Amino acid sequence: MAEVNPTVEREGTQKRSLSYKKDKCTGCGICTDICPTEALKLGPLVPIARGLLDMDYVKVDKEKCALCGLCAASCPFEAMEFKIDDVSIKENEAYPKWEHKANIDEDKCVYCKACETACPTEAITVSRKLPERTKLVSGEIDINKDTCIYCGICEEMCPADAIKMNNENLEEPEIAVDEDKCVYCLICKRSCPVNAIKAACRSCSYGAYEINPEDSKITGNAFIDEETCINCGWCEEICPVDAVTVTKPFEGEITFKEDFECKAEACHVCVDICPCNAISIVDGKSVVDERFCILCGACAKACPKKGIVIKREKINLENVRSKSWQKQMNKLVEATSK
Amino acid sequence: MPVLIDMEKCGKIKDCPGEGLCIKVCEAGALIEEDGEIVLVPENCDDCDICIQSCPNEAITKKS
Repeated sequence: MAEVNPTVEREGTQKRSLSYKKDKCTGCGICTDICPTEALKLGPLVPIARGLLDMDYVKVDKEKCALCGLCAASCPFEAMEFKIDDVSIKENEAYPKWEHKANIDEDKCVYCKACETACPTEAITVSRKLPERTKLVSGEIDINKDTCIYCGICEEMCPADAIKMNNENLEEPEIAVDEDKCVYCLICKRSCPVNAIKAACRSCSYGAYEINPEDSKITGNAFIDEETCINCGWCEEICPVDAVTVTKPFEGEITFKEDFECKAEACHVCVDICPCNAISIVDGKSVVDERFCILCGACAKACPKKGIVIKREKINLENVRSKSWQKQMNKLVEATSK
Repeated sequence: MPVLIDMEKCGKIKDCPGEGLCIKVCEAGALIEEDGEIVLVPENCDDCDICIQSCPNEAITKKS
């Protein structure tokens, strides 16, 4: 029973259109709270979040929508696209602009990929280039073919897989060292039962002093896709070198009602719907890690007991020029989400 | 306290817009299908209320 929201479109002195981006919507309900004409309604969040229903989180009522664009301007996930004369209001300087962003300082980044792994929306791509091994380790190695008994112990022991031995033809057995792979660890030399291997590591003899520091640098690229990033803060928290800064869409706090009887494992709706992986069930109750919460309110909307309270103190949305829009936007900050 | 099902509002599963959504969302096994209808197993109900908000027919309630 897939339902797809049609693009709402009307033409007057301007051509205006509103389209719903299913893949970006998290079901937070900010748009349904802010819509002045009650044209937006939330669908059954829990079954949709669990993949039991193929439906849009938000239902757009074409007849009620006044094409004002408030929903698109206030959605922190950019799940509503509002266009005037085919140009998105994101590109229109008269419209509000989100200050939320995530940035990786490549001067500090060590390309460890911890952020890439932690990102709940797979918005980060890190590529890295490691230093060339041959510039860091060098040495000499030689196998005396007259002494060698072609037992194969060195081949088996070599951690770099640098030795290849072939004794299928007993008359003419072969053994060779691939010097591009050899790390001069000397394990082969120590394991050889007949002392046929001579090897020395130059780095061990002269220490690291001979290495050009430029040759030992790790280089790479770290990229955050703004389209999928939800500014949850996982990357900032997990980064071991503090290379990431994240500005979240809202500031404030998330709490639980005092008389809230959380059903925890039996329910776990909040865990299912949270786009930020900020919620887990610990010791029989829902626990929110505020470091990763963006105060979108999806959990509060989905909680069947309505036990979660979102209290936003600041909205990081600038350039709200219209007084009536400011008034409407303030509802997101003042009103405690129900 | 287990939920209450208004069988008139509920009807047969085949007519349900959610195709028996309450059964799918209930992880406690408190709602089961019997002869094409929803049957409540009160002792399994853990009061999570997910079925109440998911029912497209608004057939599930709680005595308040």
